[in-house]
Amino acid sequence: MRRPVLLSIVIGAVLIAAADRAGGQQQAPPAALPRGGVQAFDQPLPDALSPRNASYDIAVRLDPARKEIKGRETIRWRNISAAPTNELQFHLYWNAWRNEDSTWLREDRLRAPAPARSRDAVRRPDETGASDVTSIKVTPAGGAASDLTSTIRYLAPDDGNAADRTVMAVTLPAAVGPGGSVQIDIEWTGRIPFAAARTGWIADYFFFGQWFPKIGVLEDTGWNTHQFHAATEFYADFGIYDVQMTVPGGYKVGATGREMRRVDNADGTTTHSYHADDVADFGWTTSPSFVEERRAFNHPKLPSVEMRLLLRPEHRGQETRQFAAAAAALEYYGQWFGAYPYGNITIVDPADQSNSDGMEYPMIFTGRANWLSPAQVATPDSTVTHETGHQWWYGVVATNEFENGWMDEGFNTWATARVLEETRRSNLIAVRTFGGFIPYTLNVPLSREVDGNRMPGYRPDAKSDAQTTPTFRYWPGSANAITYAKTALWMHTLERHLGWPTMQKVMATYFDRWKFRHPRPQDFFQVVNEVSGQDLTWFFDQVVRTSNTFDYAVQELKQEPSSQGRTRAVVVAQRLGEATFPVDVVTTFADGQQATEHWDGKDRRVVYTYDRPARVTRVEIDPGHVLLLDLNRTNNSRTTQPRAAEAARKWSLAWMVWLQELMITSGIFG
Amino acid sequence: MIVASWLGGWRRVWQASGMALGLHGLTFLLALPFALLVRDQIAGQLGSSLAAGAVADGVNNDWWREFTAQATGLGATFTPSIIGFASTLDTVSRVLDARYPPTALMWLLGGYLTLWTFLSGGILDRYARQRPTHAHGFFSASGRLFFRLARLTALGGLVYWLLFRYVHPWLFLDVWRDVTRGLGVERTAFIWRLVFYLLFGIVLLKINLVFDYARIRLVVEDRRSALGALRASLQFLWRHPLDITALYALDGAGFVLLLALWSVAAPGVYGAGLAMWLAFAAGQLYLLARLAIKLHFLASQTALFQSHLAHASYTAAPAPAWPESPAAELITR
Repeated sequence: MRRPVLLSIVIGAVLIAAADRAGGQQQAPPAALPRGGVQAFDQPLPDALSPRNASYDIAVRLDPARKEIKGRETIRWRNISAAPTNELQFHLYWNAWRNEDSTWLREDRLRAPAPARSRDAVRRPDETGASDVTSIKVTPAGGAASDLTSTIRYLAPDDGNAADRTVMAVTLPAAVGPGGSVQIDIEWTGRIPFAAARTGWIADYFFFGQWFPKIGVLEDTGWNTHQFHAATEFYADFGIYDVQMTVPGGYKVGATGREMRRVDNADGTTTHSYHADDVADFGWTTSPSFVEERRAFNHPKLPSVEMRLLLRPEHRGQETRQFAAAAAALEYYGQWFGAYPYGNITIVDPADQSNSDGMEYPMIFTGRANWLSPAQVATPDSTVTHETGHQWWYGVVATNEFENGWMDEGFNTWATARVLEETRRSNLIAVRTFGGFIPYTLNVPLSREVDGNRMPGYRPDAKSDAQTTPTFRYWPGSANAITYAKTALWMHTLERHLGWPTMQKVMATYFDRWKFRHPRPQDFFQVVNEVSGQDLTWFFDQVVRTSNTFDYAVQELKQEPSSQGRTRAVVVAQRLGEATFPVDVVTTFADGQQATEHWDGKDRRVVYTYDRPARVTRVEIDPGHVLLLDLNRTNNSRTTQPRAAEAARKWSLAWMVWLQELMITSGIFG
Repeated sequence: MIVASWLGGWRRVWQASGMALGLHGLTFLLALPFALLVRDQIAGQLGSSLAAGAVADGVNNDWWREFTAQATGLGATFTPSIIGFASTLDTVSRVLDARYPPTALMWLLGGYLTLWTFLSGGILDRYARQRPTHAHGFFSASGRLFFRLARLTALGGLVYWLLFRYVHPWLFLDVWRDVTRGLGVERTAFIWRLVFYLLFGIVLLKINLVFDYARIRLVVEDRRSALGALRASLQFLWRHPLDITALYALDGAGFVLLLALWSVAAPGVYGAGLAMWLAFAAGQLYLLARLAIKLHFLASQTALFQSHLAHASYTAAPAPAWPESPAAELITR
């Protein structure tokens, strides 16, 4: 018996090796799909990381000349909610660019009206995008297939916009109860949009995000299938993805998951087959111009990760920076929150003007690089770190980005800034001139507290929305300030309030408890309270449930002689903002003594009186800079030896030179 | 002839170096009140805060961000791009990218251009005569030529307005958008940008040349008509394109050399006290050099024009004398 077994193994191995080597002779099966039966997906395997209730087999063919894709997909969907459903809802995101009245485009115009002569304002007919489902059949477990194509209708649950076709629904012949499952077979064509909202094409570069008909999320309260909005991202259930992408030969492909097979077809195309377990989305890219680089991430306490970089040729030389930035996130996020679970990751260096920069998908993301990227400036590094970080906050802990975008973008902004601080990477200002192409680095360091947490973006829009408002309803023009910046600021505040060890434990617990699930804000608050041992509801009331702002100030410092050479000092601290936070008020005396008062920060004012042998030299509110949301930090202190005149003189002289130079330069017109 | 004009231009600038100093003093005096306003804004925002220490000793970007978030008017122009050589890049880039300064400064720049128009009569007269005209001669020529030059400046303003109002947006928005629409390579887009800068720059410089020589002919030939001076300038440019272009290139090379030197020498971030004054002095020296180069453009062009005349130091108008009116003479007595 042994010989035939060995012989079989040897023959098998030879055949596999031969098949690998002679891949070009195999025929592509772009249309082949079903794998396994519906029953196999009724329950996930015991070792599954996620519920795997929305799994996809997709075959798609790219026609780069026509800017089109044609695809077929089989979705194996299981109802993991407590409610039955008699319909299915799907996202067709590319319909956001189908007509000028889509909700996305309407909101985009509100966000920042495109300059009249800009590219965005002048969209050509051949630059639109669309997803057209040509066939949809549903097969219930153990039942027969029903063609539901004729029941297709479009919903606009968020704004009732009849022109919006980003949500599609079909009526089921029979309800699917809790635990029930169906197989959905869809055929569709997609018109690839021109470089819009992190998807589309430009030149020979294609990035496919939100590109396939994707089933919504059924919750206990019903379908949670929002339209595509300008200021929000996405929400989907976890599953297994097997995707075959057929592209012209010579095009390099990067995608969610791991490449399992590559077949050169007789028609000159190549089919790339990728597989991914326990992911909630699938993104991919292709271009003949990519330069491919690989590095390994190895760490004694973390699983190894194969890093792959698809680099634009003009950015050669930046690969070390990009790998280092991704590795930094893998290392620090891995140690702080939990290990990266997938084993490989692809960094995509997007084409210029592709609008696909800085976008995350499971196991693949786009960075952001400039042709001229000074070493002391943290771009592309910060973007790569940030998008790698999304593998934790979005990829694994998959919050509903339509409603609670701040739970991943904000958390990740906070964590990115922390990684940059930890790596002690040079992070200086670059003034970009001449159309933004030429950077000039100034020896002006950017701090984590302000720039890392994006305080400059938050300041002007601090009151624009409360975070309890569903993100898709934020004012489009200021949504990023509330989603990214405000969260990063209050997370950093929380970190300083609790101390890093506690905060790290909070986030690790949160990650562990909610990985491969969809947490809600309350779930996060609960973990914070539980791990910190404190009821921080008051804090979340301030920062999440209102749009109030923080501003503490030293209102007054008065001193007068009292008895026996002593000085009587009166310090008045004031709360100018509506929000409250406990702060320390530290008064320093000429003899070096300090008086620290712990003010709960609730009253409008608090008065501290001291009668001491030495005069007060300075008063500071929150000297440890715990409250990073304080909009006006300058008024937090007062000194008896002010240096404002000195500082103002110095900088006004520098400004004067600038003004004189501006005058001389403008003399060209005289 | 070109090198002789170039050297002659430097000789004339050197012989009348007081004019460069005077012009520098003018920019200084004009900028000073605005700088004092910015100083007050900064001082007012800092108040008695401890933040002032870090701002005085070096740079505190966190504070800077806070200041610019609250600043309005002049204060809004107080950004990191005023530091060192970034200031130079920013101002040159402003012109090429048609980024207009804030309204508060538009009035100042308008005033500066008016004063420059007034003074340019005296400056060109002095360069043309190649001998001291002293203050009375200088201002007499400035006054005598002012309205003629003002008409020329107004015509120039119209042309520049058309250039920046219509040609620049057409080139840098419409054409730029179409040319770069499908470009996925930033470097290629930048090369296109350079081509556009070059095209726009050539047009801008050509217009400058036309108006420069119009001013020169207006002064040297004592022309009354601004349009006539323009026509004469165009004729001169038409007849001697190589000489004029070569001289302009040579003059431009001096400007580029100065920028290159300043890119190395420009002080970046420094503390208050002596370092502040040294940095300010370095800045003023650089500005003086900029003005000298600006004047050298005019002086060398004047030299070139005069070299094409029968007499190289010809000026049509008699040497200016001031005051000329009998009433003024009575006052003198």
